[in-house]
Amino acid sequence: MPTPPRFDFNHVPVTFAAYFVEQIRGWDTLFPAEQNYFERLAAFLEKAPPELFTPLGQLESRMGVNLRTWPRGGFTLEHVDFLNRNQLYPEWRRLVSAIFEYIAPALDAAIESRTRIVIVLSPAELPVGPDRMWTRLTGRRIALAPPDDLSQYLSLLLTGQAQTNMATSLPSLCASARGPHSSWTIEAGDGLHRLATGGTSVSYEKLLPYRQRVMTEIRKIAGQSEVRGPRELGAKLKTLQPKVNEYSSDQVMGEFIRSTLLNGNGTLLFNNTFVEWACVQALRRARPSCLVASFGIRNKVKPFSGLLIFADQEQSTIIPTQADMFGSYVDLEVFYQYIWQEAGKYAEYRDKTAFLFLAEGMDEMFLIAPESFPLPADKVPLDALHVACRKWLAV
Amino acid sequence: MLSRDFLKLAGLTIAQRILPPALMNIWAQAADAQAKGRKVILVTFGGGVRTSETFSPAGLRNIPRLAELQPQGFFYQNCLNQGTLSHFNSTASIVTGNWQRVDDFGFEAPASATLFEQFRKAHKAGPLDAWVIATNKSFAAMGASSQTSFGLPFGANVVLPKQLLLDAINDIVKKPDAADVANRDAVHQRLTSLLEEGYEGVGWTIFKGGRQMDKNIRTTLTRALGEFINGPEVPTSGDELTFFITREVMREFAPRLLLVNFWDMDVAHWGSYSLYLQAIAKTDRLTGMLWDEVQANPKYRNQTTVLVLPELGRDGDMNTANGFLNHRSGDPSCRNTWLLALGAGVNKGATDKPIRHIDVAATAASLLSIKPEGMAGSPAREILS
Repeated sequence: MPTPPRFDFNHVPVTFAAYFVEQIRGWDTLFPAEQNYFERLAAFLEKAPPELFTPLGQLESRMGVNLRTWPRGGFTLEHVDFLNRNQLYPEWRRLVSAIFEYIAPALDAAIESRTRIVIVLSPAELPVGPDRMWTRLTGRRIALAPPDDLSQYLSLLLTGQAQTNMATSLPSLCASARGPHSSWTIEAGDGLHRLATGGTSVSYEKLLPYRQRVMTEIRKIAGQSEVRGPRELGAKLKTLQPKVNEYSSDQVMGEFIRSTLLNGNGTLLFNNTFVEWACVQALRRARPSCLVASFGIRNKVKPFSGLLIFADQEQSTIIPTQADMFGSYVDLEVFYQYIWQEAGKYAEYRDKTAFLFLAEGMDEMFLIAPESFPLPADKVPLDALHVACRKWLAV
Repeated sequence: MLSRDFLKLAGLTIAQRILPPALMNIWAQAADAQAKGRKVILVTFGGGVRTSETFSPAGLRNIPRLAELQPQGFFYQNCLNQGTLSHFNSTASIVTGNWQRVDDFGFEAPASATLFEQFRKAHKAGPLDAWVIATNKSFAAMGASSQTSFGLPFGANVVLPKQLLLDAINDIVKKPDAADVANRDAVHQRLTSLLEEGYEGVGWTIFKGGRQMDKNIRTTLTRALGEFINGPEVPTSGDELTFFITREVMREFAPRLLLVNFWDMDVAHWGSYSLYLQAIAKTDRLTGMLWDEVQANPKYRNQTTVLVLPELGRDGDMNTANGFLNHRSGDPSCRNTWLLALGAGVNKGATDKPIRHIDVAATAASLLSIKPEGMAGSPAREILS
């Protein structure tokens, strides 16, 4: 395992250094892409002109940052509060953004250029046709020829063959070629998990035992009245990693799952929120070459007991669980946009990524891709689309 | 002075004898209104809402009542939150007229005097004349500041309907037979008995006003619970209970200064855009119903100014971590919202000239004829007729 880069942050303003010190402290839980980023950053900062940080250093003095309010190497929730509540916080954000704008081109230049793919699948139950899907995106609607037997939809798309043939899936091929954290499946249900072995697999449904344990723990902590608010609750839950039988022994992924469920708003409560936030975090942190996301249908919030957000809704009321088809459709329209936009923030994805948005059973898909994406002509059968994706990724 | 008071009293007495009763009633109402002065209701779209889902061409469909009311009032399309983008500090800035930077989760009182304290102190108003009715359960300290020359003796009553609701549901769910949570009567019974156990348990501040007054307050709140539980819709929301309690307080005590904080739209943090839109539509409906009450209630009609504004926006879709879910980026979508002023003392019109959140308390102070102490905000001259 690579060791953290040795870097002296003393010549960098303390509020800027704090985040990186904290990240490097958790080096063992970083993805290779993150470690690579920090190594490039450390090398860049060593040679960076001191005047790059002069305005921020001056602002820190005006903000009241000193050894007492902010000791070097420190970064706690109190420091986050200190920034948020400081009158000069908007100015601080502006200066930090300006520094990153200066740094980014130099760091991005070192990124290896490779084609990438993001496939976003929606459930068949959405109550709209292709004309009302993907309305927030800019791209092309492409005619598909879905199979008559819709149970073969996923298999044909991801393996190019019927499920009985047990062919290797696109995510598995990509993982073999580019490494396990280069290929991800993130889903509300477990359909992808059953198809795609290899790579990194995250299923909201399969995380049920861990999610239940986390919710029980939150209720217990809240019931003990020891914690005064969300800050303290967050700190207490920091050690609540998934056990091996709840996910896997992968330390990096264990921390990823914990932080996705506990730092992402609503991810413990709603399947699709979890899928979206996990995708955003995977893109931001792991920069996968292949990401397949599969959304589901969200349940309706139950009367009364729905107010108790960490309660087990199946246990706390006799009111039956109902699926919210239209609500899920409205939610997903925004999530498609957020996933697409997130990828666009990183140099790894710009101009090199094919985004395929599909809905199970629908005879159209939405494509955002460079012209060179080898899309077959006319109504595209799913096995042909699979071949095009493999060609694109060269796997 | 004594003789003038005597003459006034004599005049009223004589008038009662010589004027027809209907005319007498109008005169009495006018005199009463003048004596009691203007009433102000601040309504916050708490939790935060973006202009893109409200007063934008695409957003208007989510707020049909406000869209319909807009031409009747004065509309600021740029209402700026330049402070800390947390719920408590945002609303505390609105009610104090100073940017607040206290604990984000409401564990500290506002650092400068609230409008409630300024109003009560200036007008020697009683404790029933200023109320905070807030769905956000962390607003227990919103009614009074930590200023020693003001503070709790001049503060507002603070009612947190959602905390009561949560406590009641929690108690029921803990029972072996969780089926009770689907039973409106059981929920009603638990809500009522929690009220009986004392306001402090649910974080409320209700000033003691003698045995009869205390009984009156309790009866009023209990009646509001009944209306909420037995209303035509499935009662699921903290905001609906906030509305029913507000309406009962208005009918029973007619306070001159009220803050009504709706908060259901903070469901956006859960990451469901559809639930966020539903909550906006509900807040619009409840705000409309509140306006209807102002029009129908003779203690409020023609003498009440209603100021409606979001306590903050939410992050924009394009350049932030997770768009509508959060409100910490400080981008324009998060800081620039709107304000709609309606009712008595308000000009009709609209402007793109910015107004700041801290100007709201100063404007309300002006409407209430108070010269506030130490407010950084300024009255919005455009709206004051």
